[in-house]
Amino acid sequence: MKTIYADNNATTQVAPEVVEAMAPFFAENYYNPSSMYEPARQAAKAMTDARWAIARHFGITDPEQILFTSCATESNNLALFGAARARPNRRHVVTTAVEHPAVLEVCRELGRSGYEVTFLGVDGDGNLDIREFIRALRPDTLLVSIMHANNETGVIFPVEQLARITKETDPAILFHTDATQTVGKLPIRLREEFRSVDLLSFSGHKFHAPKGIGGLYLKKGTPCRPLLIGGHQEEGRRGGTENVAFIVGMAKALQLAEENFQDEDTRVRDLRDKLEKTVEERIPHVQVNGKGAPRTPNTLNVSCHGVEGESMLMQLMSDYGICASSGSACTTGSLEPSHVLRAMQVPFTAVHGSVRFSLSRYNTAADVDRIIEAFPKIVANLRKSSPYWDQERNEPRLEHVDSVR
Amino acid sequence: MAWEYSQKTVRLFMDAVHGKPGTHVGEIEDPDGIGEYGSAACGDALRFTFRVRRHPTDPTQDVITEARYLTFGCTSAIAASEALCILIEQKELTPIEALKITNQDIVDFLEGLPKQKIHCSVMGAEALEAAVYNWAQRRGVDLRRLGVDLHDDEQDEGRIVCKCFSLTEPFIRRKIKELNLRTIPEITDAIKAGGACMSCHHVPGGLQDLLDEAWGKKEDLLKILPTPVPLEPVPVKATPKDESALSPYQFSKKVESVIDENVRPILRKDGGDVEIIDIKDTLIYCRLSGACQECVGAAQTLRMLVERTLKDLVDERIRVIRV
Repeated sequence: MKTIYADNNATTQVAPEVVEAMAPFFAENYYNPSSMYEPARQAAKAMTDARWAIARHFGITDPEQILFTSCATESNNLALFGAARARPNRRHVVTTAVEHPAVLEVCRELGRSGYEVTFLGVDGDGNLDIREFIRALRPDTLLVSIMHANNETGVIFPVEQLARITKETDPAILFHTDATQTVGKLPIRLREEFRSVDLLSFSGHKFHAPKGIGGLYLKKGTPCRPLLIGGHQEEGRRGGTENVAFIVGMAKALQLAEENFQDEDTRVRDLRDKLEKTVEERIPHVQVNGKGAPRTPNTLNVSCHGVEGESMLMQLMSDYGICASSGSACTTGSLEPSHVLRAMQVPFTAVHGSVRFSLSRYNTAADVDRIIEAFPKIVANLRKSSPYWDQERNEPRLEHVDSVR
Repeated sequence: MAWEYSQKTVRLFMDAVHGKPGTHVGEIEDPDGIGEYGSAACGDALRFTFRVRRHPTDPTQDVITEARYLTFGCTSAIAASEALCILIEQKELTPIEALKITNQDIVDFLEGLPKQKIHCSVMGAEALEAAVYNWAQRRGVDLRRLGVDLHDDEQDEGRIVCKCFSLTEPFIRRKIKELNLRTIPEITDAIKAGGACMSCHHVPGGLQDLLDEAWGKKEDLLKILPTPVPLEPVPVKATPKDESALSPYQFSKKVESVIDENVRPILRKDGGDVEIIDIKDTLIYCRLSGACQECVGAAQTLRMLVERTLKDLVDERIRVIRV
């Protein structure tokens, strides 16, 4: 059975062109780019070229503003802790309740060490309230960190609008955005569309580069003290011998992404829309999470009342070879269901019954047809064995088991 | 996290959801015992029903002949429910004998469960217990007199802190207070938490953090972060009340009336309008609407018309911010 990979918000297949671009930098040109001899300078040049290519992708002319890290989690940690350490007199942070843990947990950690953190809520579609945002800004606000697109629902926040309001209120407040889910999926022109953003995190493996390479855009003059100290690399802002091969790979992957933006916005979007429409038609009592908000073109997050996500994933894989993910507590290794869907006031059974399909340019119409064939059957099967499903009326039965505990 | 289920667990699950003959999905109509356990909030719930062959004179000699379940839950929750029914049906058990089936029996039958899934097997045993209690009520059996102990489940729901022993944050918090636990070794001795892999000791939200939150922090654990120094006076955005002696309420009323009388009429001529989103000190957050919304000169309009008018008529320190 062919595996259908529909979990591209988790990670992506490394593009063959990327593998090819990286290949010379393992066994042939393996030199430390900091060394002085000629072959090492070639490695350094490959890295410089990559940095330039990535800078051009973002529409900036100053490549030193791109910092290479090991992953977006590191980028987020560096942005938040780095800013906190550079501006110790400010001790208030604004973020949202739906951030990725790489921001959310860092903010909680700041909270534990004496910072005040405002977690902005969202409405049922996942949108922020602009008035609540304005009210959250304070004279002692250090930094605002708001993601570009949500990893679970694909909901896009109006980052530049929020950043502009922040800067106009107080230019000293730093604005960070975690753009892990949008870099490589949507065109991001930092100088035109994101001119008020100071820091922007991204990760290679979300756009067909390997895991283990990420980046942080650090606008010139942004105060940020390093986390990894002990090397002159990245101008002293991130010590550690550079991962030359993966840096080259990430630049190649971004170049390919740019060539595929059109495809992502048309063909992939159409596939997602078709999947969404069919799921809504064929499965009763299903809801599309974030339906009323702007979303990334590849993501569909649906909640099926009365069934549990992990058991849906198990059947999708075992019977149909389909990879997807869920916000159910059982899939996290912890007993906590998706904080994102909970923040959107999705009812508990629907949170546990959520499934996320996330596509990429490698998905075909046949893949989506297979999901369309499989998914409604699986939901119907599981509803037969669910105490939350009224078999006769074919509708959710909620009053019963909830009252037990 | 990737699945680490035994083949038997996966097979029982797949057989059950495909409705293979011999599986036990369903609900017995008019059952002799019904028990429910779990909740939607924790992501697992089980309704367990059974039928007995009634003994003509002594209800304690009833024998369970049929068991069924409806389960909302993950792969292991459904497989564990299936296992429970098989274990009960394969021997002719009285309901009281059935109580001897433990979650360990279920785990063994499934040829092991990943440790974070052990609670799924507990759920089966708890639902069985509830069903037996229900049967006893229906049949007039006094379980307590027979020495059967039906204890309530103590584990609270919530984020799991100690993964090795599946102990949750609310449970550990409660025990820290109840048992006056002051150190990590004390916690481990009392409730096992943190006793195996020890990785939950000093992680964010781990045992030390729970202790700090319960008893107050002893020292700054985060050497990486500087202790926040006292707030130095941040340049204040000027408050209106000093000179103009307007209260914030009067100030915003005045802003609104100036907008109504001096700004709106001009914008409306061009089919536009302005909406005040919020007022913070002398910062006025506005949104242009109607024809102005799409206008390329919107920012100019706000600065030259709205801000200038407010500066002139209300307070020179006012700044208008486009939302």
